[in-house]
Amino acid sequence: MSFIQIRQVDYSYPRKTNPAVAGINLTLEGNCITALVGPNGSGKTTLTKLMIGLLPPSRGEVYLAGRSLKQYTLAQIGRRIGYVFQNPDLQLFCPSVAEEIAFGMTRPGQEPELIQEKVDFYLDYFELGDYRNAFPLHLSQGEKQRLAIAAVLANEPEFLILDEPTIGLDAYRKKRLEDYLGKVVGLGRGMLLVSHDLVFVNRMAARVVGMENGRITSDSGQEGGQTHEY
Amino acid sequence: MLLMDAVVVKNLSYQYQPRGPYVLKDINLEVKPGELAVITGLSGCGKSSLCLCLSGAIRHQRYGVMSGEVSLNGQNIEDIKGGQLALHVGIVFQDPDTQLFSPTVEDEIAFAPENLCLPPPQIRQRVDYVIDLLGIAALRYAHPEQLSGGQKQLVALAAVLALDPPLLILDEAMSQLDSNDKKIVADTLEKLREAGKTIIAVEHNLEDLSFADRLLVMEAGQIIRFDRMEAILEDREFLLERRLIYI
Repeated sequence: MSFIQIRQVDYSYPRKTNPAVAGINLTLEGNCITALVGPNGSGKTTLTKLMIGLLPPSRGEVYLAGRSLKQYTLAQIGRRIGYVFQNPDLQLFCPSVAEEIAFGMTRPGQEPELIQEKVDFYLDYFELGDYRNAFPLHLSQGEKQRLAIAAVLANEPEFLILDEPTIGLDAYRKKRLEDYLGKVVGLGRGMLLVSHDLVFVNRMAARVVGMENGRITSDSGQEGGQTHEY
Repeated sequence: MLLMDAVVVKNLSYQYQPRGPYVLKDINLEVKPGELAVITGLSGCGKSSLCLCLSGAIRHQRYGVMSGEVSLNGQNIEDIKGGQLALHVGIVFQDPDTQLFSPTVEDEIAFAPENLCLPPPQIRQRVDYVIDLLGIAALRYAHPEQLSGGQKQLVALAAVLALDPPLLILDEAMSQLDSNDKKIVADTLEKLREAGKTIIAVEHNLEDLSFADRLLVMEAGQIIRFDRMEAILEDREFLLERRLIYI
């Protein structure tokens, strides 16, 4: 069974005449990396927000593991799909970097020692150890981006959606991210990368889906499909 | 006659808090008029803080401690009144959301020239010019809030270009752009340079601005190299050693 299925989905923002996305049919598997590419304003971010129920389709339906998204609460979706926003400022809200990473793991029954161990691991891997007690919004943009990614990865969701994860990352940190995401996929989890960074996309993705003007215009995963170029 | 440097920085140091760590340590640099200089370095090394110091934005920060001197076209920024800074320098911030606030793209771009009290025909001319230059006519009446990240970056750049400042500072202003829009911005920067504007741009993807004159490499708040872009791009060993590229 596909992890995410989108059937005949349209979405229009309020007071807008043209739909932001239209006639979308897309299936995403839960064990590989798919990239979503396309020009600025082509509807990529809108489509990912439809996938996690942040936006309700104007028409059509989105399914998660075979069930309509309408049957899930946002919290239930959030536990299964980890979402890293394009702008980390929208995502960070805890008083310290360590608490930000621990937040998603803190729930009844979770051993505090285990949470601490994982927080230490992610602080170390994403080289944020020096900022353990710093206020997240005081970090540089690249550091905030790494923290937002670390906080979502620490939750170990079944599927990840990363919207422009390489923005603000230097080459060295980009490579570290690549290595880590490769390991996550090695564990059998899937992800969708939305990115303009074609070098990153070509190194990471098994399948590339292209969008233009709110529609899917290419899909390398389809029979005879081609990689989108823009 | 010798031309005065567009930017001169002498012994600049900066701390965000009085007893906090130095984010900039003893920075010295000169940028010539009409030069395109790129700043790069690992995240957190002080690139954005340097941009904020150069733009004058950090000068009066209540809690920060800035020492040393920044001069724009021979004038110490300490002597430039806040309201006059826009005539000397325009800065495009890393996050366009911190910069956009008007109800339409057109209003956003017109805001700065309006505040310079330019006559309406001149304001319209500047707005039309930058909209055409960056190819954003389709966005003219859109609400900036409803644009994609890349479109917001283009609008933020357009709004600063409408100021027509002699010094333009871009803090990773191309990070969310697709390849087509990157090309448009790169071409625009080349045109501006030809027109004599001085440009300082922070960038991780050096290939995007490989036509720049010089590259300034920072590490832990300090300049470790400031050399011709071409010379540093050819020095693969240096780039790999400083983790600015990877294989």
